[in-house]
Amino acid sequence: MHQEEAILKVTGLKKAFGKKQALDGVAFSVKSGSSFGLLGPNGAGKSTTMKILTGIIKPDGGRVDLLGRDVSGQKDWVAKYVGYVPQDITLYEELSAYDNLLFFGQLYGVKGPELRRRIAEVLEQTGLTERANDAVKTFSGGMKRRINLGCALLHRPKVLVLDEPTVGIDPQSRNRIFEMIRDLNRQGVTIIYSTHYLEEVEALCDEVAIIDHGVVKAQGPLGVLLEKHGRKAIYIEAGGLNDAPDVPNVSRVTKEGAGWLLETEHPAVVMHVLLQKAAARRWDVKQIEIVRPSLENVFLSVTGTALRDE
Amino acid sequence: MKAIIVKELKLMIKEKGNIFFLLIMPMLFMLMFGSLFNKGNDLSVEIHYVDQDHTALSQTFLKQLKKTDGIHLKNESSADLSSLINKIKKGQLASMLVINKGFEEAIKEGRQAQVKLYRDPAASSEVSAIEAVLKNIANGYREAKLAKSLTALGENKEQAVKTLTPPIQIQNINTTGEHIDYISQVVPGMTVMFIFYIMISMTKRFFKEKESGLLSRIQSTTMKPLPYLVGMWVPFVIAVIVQSIILLGFGHFVYHLKLGHLSALSMLIIGLSLCGTGVGLALSVLVRGENQGMAITQLIALAGAMVGGLWMPSYLLPFFIQNIGYFTPQYWALRGLQDIIVHGADVGDIWRSLAVLAAFGFAGLFVAVLRFPRFLKSATH
Repeated sequence: MHQEEAILKVTGLKKAFGKKQALDGVAFSVKSGSSFGLLGPNGAGKSTTMKILTGIIKPDGGRVDLLGRDVSGQKDWVAKYVGYVPQDITLYEELSAYDNLLFFGQLYGVKGPELRRRIAEVLEQTGLTERANDAVKTFSGGMKRRINLGCALLHRPKVLVLDEPTVGIDPQSRNRIFEMIRDLNRQGVTIIYSTHYLEEVEALCDEVAIIDHGVVKAQGPLGVLLEKHGRKAIYIEAGGLNDAPDVPNVSRVTKEGAGWLLETEHPAVVMHVLLQKAAARRWDVKQIEIVRPSLENVFLSVTGTALRDE
Repeated sequence: MKAIIVKELKLMIKEKGNIFFLLIMPMLFMLMFGSLFNKGNDLSVEIHYVDQDHTALSQTFLKQLKKTDGIHLKNESSADLSSLINKIKKGQLASMLVINKGFEEAIKEGRQAQVKLYRDPAASSEVSAIEAVLKNIANGYREAKLAKSLTALGENKEQAVKTLTPPIQIQNINTTGEHIDYISQVVPGMTVMFIFYIMISMTKRFFKEKESGLLSRIQSTTMKPLPYLVGMWVPFVIAVIVQSIILLGFGHFVYHLKLGHLSALSMLIIGLSLCGTGVGLALSVLVRGENQGMAITQLIALAGAMVGGLWMPSYLLPFFIQNIGYFTPQYWALRGLQDIIVHGADVGDIWRSLAVLAAFGFAGLFVAVLRFPRFLKSATH
């Protein structure tokens, strides 16, 4: 399959729970081998989308194509190619890591020596070979998250769907999981990663869809989105610069910390003018830099609101 | 399905609460009820006696008493007679048999020998049994004396026996192989009652699976709803079979409960496990939560035990309760078990119990299969 081909295509996905319209025409596509982030606040429709992609729930309308095939009524087809890591740690805590992997491997249709080999590989990937026979309830939160992820890998899925897989764990464990995901992506597994953490998408994904109120507001490669919707600005902090500097081509000036943030479509020109003014007026420049557009700005720009937790 | 069965069996073994609830508790109940009421079946009577004669004939008399089934003798000859009589007055002793001095001499001389029975009128049932035994022995002596007189009058031995044969003979005919003792009520009764408690374990497992998100996750695999449901059910069927074997085995080894035809017993255990777990499966997918499941289980297990005759024989219950009992699986399970254990019934004799238990079980399964998609939907949302 060509790298640029869409491995997954979602069109007009609709789902209502009672009177609540959870998804209202969600549409996006994911390129094969990419790491795709579905970014949105809680209640935006991320988990519902993930559950539809993995065949757990049926949509009221719309269509999902996986590897060029409509997945409607094709549960086995989806299970064969997709691995799903749910938001919660869904493991049998009384059973060992090995038994959990054995169970999920069997449910994905892997058997016999192949399953035993895959369990050994996954234990290696998750760094839990030494703890394979210990009950999961004795594991730390991070270790449980890793096994939770491992259970979705036994059948070598082409697409790995992760629904907020790092909720409630420490930064070290989060980095470990990120490394696992990057490794899988390097091995050719397409990643679909849902989160409400901007920094996770920035750290992991090369392509993003922003979802809010059951609708995808924007989608594209991260760089393109940042370029298109991100706020470009110059930050300057200098002794003697007490009032907002008056510079052409600046759309807005705001006080930020000890300095000033100048929003502009022409950062290079604005920086040049600022440096000239600083020399002429003998400002003691402590910091001057082009501010990198952030995904937070993109989210604000496309949804009109800041990314919220609830 | 095999993966689900194996996983559930592993979880079941690790859940210590199951062992307590399904095995230890019914055994404790059996021990408690067994020790409380099992004495009621012990019909043996102890006769305290004082032999003042100390002769060969007084010893023969005591030997005859000892030979009687259910009679145990206790020699009190060394004790003071007045203190023994005081014991009777205080209610510490029910009766006291005294063979007076001159017992042998009186018999040899053809006079009436004296045997005194001191008795507490309040203990009439126990003393009546002793009295009956003594009268029986006295009759024996009288018959021997009569036979001797008849022989002396010229009748031969056969004619004398014929003359002394009573005109009416009372024959005791047992209509069943064994009698129903209390243990034959308690052990099968407690076994049947506690088998229905498997429904609590089943409801707990289904809700844990649902609320932890595991059921939802399993839906993302190749597992289909029906094999999942059957996979969750089979381990509980196995658990109930093991539970029944252990509880009835406990009754057999501790209380010498006879188990009857093993083929019939096996069939009934299978029927009982299908019934209990079938109803449990339906309950697990019908109720809204664990607490509701627990409350309904208590209702089914306790009310069924009461009206089904698990606590006391059905025939002792009021007529209308007996009629309600016929609609409970517990009644048919107990009846089947007692038919096997007490009456020596074989598979063909318990077909009605088997049919009722299987009907309840498959009705539960049918409801569970119909209702499961809704349970699944609530789990995935």
